[in-house]
Amino acid sequence: MTDTATMEKGDKNVDQSAKEAYFTAGQGQLIWTRFKKQRAAMIGAGVLIWLILSGIFADFLTPYNPTITGRNADYQNGAPQIPKFWDENGFSLRPFVYTYERTRSIETNFRWVSTINRDKRRYMVFFTEGDEYEMFGMKFNTHIFGADVGKIHLFGTDGTGKDIFSRTFHSINTSLAVGTIGVLIAFVLALIIGGIAGYYGGWMDSILQMITDAVRTIPAIPLFMAIAAFIPAEISSEGRFFIISIILGFIGWPTLARRVRTHLLTERNQEYVLAAQLCGASPAHIIGRHLLPSFTSYIIVDLIISFPYMVLSETALSFIGLGLKEPVNSLGVMLQNVTKADVLLNYQWNFIPVIFFIVLVLAFVFVGDGLRDAADPYADTKK
Amino acid sequence: MFHFLQFAATRATLAVITLIMVSFIVFSLMELVPGDCAERYLAFKNTQGSQISIADIDAERVRLGLDKPYIVRWGKWIVNAFQGEFGDSCILRVNIAQLLGDKFWISLAICLTSLLVAYLIAIPVGIISATSKSPIVNNSLRFVSYLGLAMPNFLLALMIMLFSTVMFGDSLTGLFSKEYRDAAWNYDKFIDFISRAWLPIFILGWSATAFAIQTVRALMSDEVGKLYVLAASARGVSGRQLLWRYPARHSLGPIINSLGFDLNRIFNELPIVALILTLTEAGALLIEALARSNDQQLAGAIIFMLTASIVGINFVTDIILAITDPRVRRSILG
Repeated sequence: MTDTATMEKGDKNVDQSAKEAYFTAGQGQLIWTRFKKQRAAMIGAGVLIWLILSGIFADFLTPYNPTITGRNADYQNGAPQIPKFWDENGFSLRPFVYTYERTRSIETNFRWVSTINRDKRRYMVFFTEGDEYEMFGMKFNTHIFGADVGKIHLFGTDGTGKDIFSRTFHSINTSLAVGTIGVLIAFVLALIIGGIAGYYGGWMDSILQMITDAVRTIPAIPLFMAIAAFIPAEISSEGRFFIISIILGFIGWPTLARRVRTHLLTERNQEYVLAAQLCGASPAHIIGRHLLPSFTSYIIVDLIISFPYMVLSETALSFIGLGLKEPVNSLGVMLQNVTKADVLLNYQWNFIPVIFFIVLVLAFVFVGDGLRDAADPYADTKK
Repeated sequence: MFHFLQFAATRATLAVITLIMVSFIVFSLMELVPGDCAERYLAFKNTQGSQISIADIDAERVRLGLDKPYIVRWGKWIVNAFQGEFGDSCILRVNIAQLLGDKFWISLAICLTSLLVAYLIAIPVGIISATSKSPIVNNSLRFVSYLGLAMPNFLLALMIMLFSTVMFGDSLTGLFSKEYRDAAWNYDKFIDFISRAWLPIFILGWSATAFAIQTVRALMSDEVGKLYVLAASARGVSGRQLLWRYPARHSLGPIINSLGFDLNRIFNELPIVALILTLTEAGALLIEALARSNDQQLAGAIIFMLTASIVGINFVTDIILAITDPRVRRSILG
């Protein structure tokens, strides 16, 4: 009897302190607490952080330069080399791969044929020096791994002998950069257009809504293609990269603008807006300082949700040859040649990067969904 | 009845205004392409061996009406476009309407079929997942629809191509067998078409279904908890009948309303899928026009027809909704 009484009291105490913590917590803390509870979203976040880091440190994590300068001319369309610890010639603590030898003679009908030489091992070396690269404004040449003799290609090589492993990680970097620039531009446009439409309402709102709807009616990818077709061919690959990101941003704004507008329409009649207006604050000040902070969390969630779509659009655009071009690496650029029957039949390792991209997009979708649920203040009361 | 006509007329006017705005965007995009028709045409003549001067180009511009102001040319283009006449492609020097032929309608048919398939699957599945309490059903459906969102159509198409090439030695591409490619439409050609078109329909339907399931599920779970559903079940209606007669009817309204944008999303993916599967339809032509030959007349025509069909579908769904939904009907008919 007394036991249950104390237990109940204990429960009450816990309950009370939990409630207090709940009421005094900031919005960020509340979102984080709810986010932590969702296992799928947490796993997604972990994977995402891992991918982002490996994209940023791609130069260090991959053995070779992803452009044509880092190619292995002796190993074109080479199969993936899987590191081993032992074979019939004995055990080795250091992982190794075999040497591929390419021969061409009358027996092979004068075609280059690579054969595995199991007696010639290439041992993996770690923190080795290789191609020079630049990171944070400094020059380095240390790579996390490499081979002691010749080169090592974990995911094989493509038709020109470029290392697919190195290209994959660099292309994650590119996708993240394109997505970030695109999302930021879309975000700024959406804030301006949605902000004006929502704050002023009336005829201004109607006109802006009609323009938004008209932009939404045109299918995005044909529109992308139409705009991308105007990029002059002689522009540098970096310039092209920025233009593509900007186009992605310019087409991605309507959905976000709609959300900003809807929120502002309900929010602008609140007393605190009236108070600010009576104090003589300018509309830009009211929108920027008072209205937007009231739904920052939603905007962040929306940005994260629209991120994978930017990445996918870039991939699709590059894939058909209207987006990024060599020497910039992106998934779309890497997939440009894979529809050939030759590649489909003989060199399937060209598809390995696809796995990374599906994981990247899935991670984004899971995190975005988790954040959306976490940012919804009524999520707890609904259940 | 008068109110209904008035409603339909307003909607139709709005649709036409949207179309005009879209046509302005499309026309401006076409104009932005460096070089115009006169230069193209004469550049072609140049390759045939005749000498071309600046005066020739200017004369050609006058002949094609390219010297007129921007707005005038746009006006002419849009008036012709509404009659289904897009002039000649100056790259291919063929009439565009002739070039497109039934290709555009094939594309539209593929997209509409995918949309239909998507909703035939999504409506029952979405309703089940919104009402089911089993975590296995919910989680697996959630995972499938996430996968549909994360795996873009063109990657799926590539994967299917890879798989079928490795397994069956046939890449399943193309839209017609060789013998039917130029034949007139008949029963055999239709059967041949179906036997090939199921793959693009499946691929396009894949992510559309994933998206549709999420929409149906969200709309249904909003409705299921409402009091009128409880009241109906208190009256003894239960099971499928309850769901179908009350919450499902409610939640399908917004879906009908967004059909146009769904079609937009599917059409979006079509060109790239068409490129991979080497389909001979408008999507592939569009890519060809934009990425390879820079043929702005053809691209503009296809994009315009595309948006016209989307605006048309938006109009039709508005009218259907006004007729079928008693709430909308009452608000219109007063």
